[in-house]
Amino acid sequence: MQKSPIKYVFLLPAVLWVLAFTIFPLIYSLRISFYNIRLGRNVSAIWVGLHNFARVFTDSRVQESVVVTLVLLVTTVTAQLVLGIALAVLFNRHLPGRSLLRTLMTTPLFATPVAVGLLFLTIYYEEGGFINSILPWKIPWISHPQWALVGVGLVEIWQWTPFCFLVFLAALQSLPDELYEAARLDTSSGWRVFRSLTLPMLQPVVILVLLLRLTEGLKVFDIPWGLTGGGPGTATQTYSMFTYRAGFRHFDFGYSSALGYVMLIAEMIVITFFFKRMRQVYE
Amino acid sequence: MTTGRNATLTAVGTSAVTRRVVRQWRQVGIVLLAFLATAVAGFPVYWALSMSLRRPADTFTVTGLGVPFLQYRPTLENWRTELSVAETYHALLNSTGIAVATTVLALLLGVPAAYALARFRFHLIKNKDIVTWFLSQRVLPPVVTVLPFYLIMRTLHLLDTQAALIIANTTFNLPFAVVILRQTFLDLPLELEEAALVDGATPFSTFWHVARPLAQPAIMAAGLIILAFTWNEFLFALTIGRLDAITLPVRIAGTAYSVRGVQFWYVSTQALLAIIPPTVLALLAQRYVVRGLTLGAVKG
Repeated sequence: MQKSPIKYVFLLPAVLWVLAFTIFPLIYSLRISFYNIRLGRNVSAIWVGLHNFARVFTDSRVQESVVVTLVLLVTTVTAQLVLGIALAVLFNRHLPGRSLLRTLMTTPLFATPVAVGLLFLTIYYEEGGFINSILPWKIPWISHPQWALVGVGLVEIWQWTPFCFLVFLAALQSLPDELYEAARLDTSSGWRVFRSLTLPMLQPVVILVLLLRLTEGLKVFDIPWGLTGGGPGTATQTYSMFTYRAGFRHFDFGYSSALGYVMLIAEMIVITFFFKRMRQVYE
Repeated sequence: MTTGRNATLTAVGTSAVTRRVVRQWRQVGIVLLAFLATAVAGFPVYWALSMSLRRPADTFTVTGLGVPFLQYRPTLENWRTELSVAETYHALLNSTGIAVATTVLALLLGVPAAYALARFRFHLIKNKDIVTWFLSQRVLPPVVTVLPFYLIMRTLHLLDTQAALIIANTTFNLPFAVVILRQTFLDLPLELEEAALVDGATPFSTFWHVARPLAQPAIMAAGLIILAFTWNEFLFALTIGRLDAITLPVRIAGTAYSVRGVQFWYVSTQALLAIIPPTVLALLAQRYVVRGLTLGAVKG
């Protein structure tokens, strides 16, 4: 079986496909990032060296979008992990109708993110939206810069907490019961069992979920696009949105490519940081 | 003496009762919390449903939770209007076609590759490194590749075609299929395949007639998840499929704000139209969702 050449017939089409449609665009994009490209009747390209990269680090609009992205990333991922663990512990008990509740808990997970953003518009809408209609005062969810950011963050938390919850619950259910029985002989404090048994046992999974959420969270695009369109002004414009707009609204292709590359490097830093741990989890 | 003993007995009795009461109340609290969490998770979809069943006139006059039948008479008018628009049909058809074609293509390429990585040893580059490379594709930010991809499709005259979106989505989902199905094949017992080979079956027929049928449930589940991912993809669809190849998420994102502000009844109907299909697909693949979303690292 080892010698059979059929293994290449099996593997190569997939490898070549992914290579062709990722590596080639990536090289192309790197090349573009050194040019100032204008789309007109004819495409004109002028070599500008590292100028586009220099712009990335000096542009105040970039700095704003980085702040928006990082604030969203840190707050929403923290909330998702904490809520996810808490809910998993909660659901890891005997509950009436647990499997139905668990199923309902997972409905946000595959909901089209941009549609979720739109849907929350009817919940946040300042005149007649659900939240403001039951509150005695009005929250400017859409029109106030900070509230809009809170609004986007809450939707992110709503959509992705179920992911953390599901994974943690699966991990909890795979822990052996005997351990818990032994622990209960030692202490009657549920918190201590959680701190010194559950949490350490969950640690590899927590790191995995953290990694997956961080790398996804850096890309955040769909939900703010649907909910606020980046507004008011640029208060909720994420780095991905800014990169997209540089390319497809201002047709500044070189700049957009440079922005994309800086993001790719940021993603790679996150991954290298977790790489060893991730490999352990996957082996 | 006797009174003393009675007193002790009563004390023991009360504390046992107190403990039981405390435990019962805690259980009640836990159940309530679980219900509350579920309600929060499910509410927005309920709210959209409630909105989509109202006449425009009822949108703001109905207050609070907006329970249909109790607070207003539900109507399918918004759904009828939305589904009678040609553009909606066009977008639905595109979304479905692109998702189905992507799924078929990703599985066609991905299943054999996953099998090869599970059962054969590669020497030039180690299996482990090939898998890591596939894994790393999942974290590639799409905004990095969307621009060059757009320019390449422009050169190939494939802008605004379903083909371009099928290519893009296959590229995103193929690594997913390879990584999680490799894990599936690794989990299958080796003995059956060895027996087939001893009996003189070729490696291909061993794969096709022995391993693939055993992996069928996982392959189906991977297919359902890829369908949902492709349906939900927004950035590339927004960039490449503007008119002819417009997908449902792109169509609804463009129609939320009208001159009269946000028309709740349209927005909620359209949002649901986009959300329901992938959600249902994911429910069908429920047993595999955890494994799928952690790329095989955690088994649900």
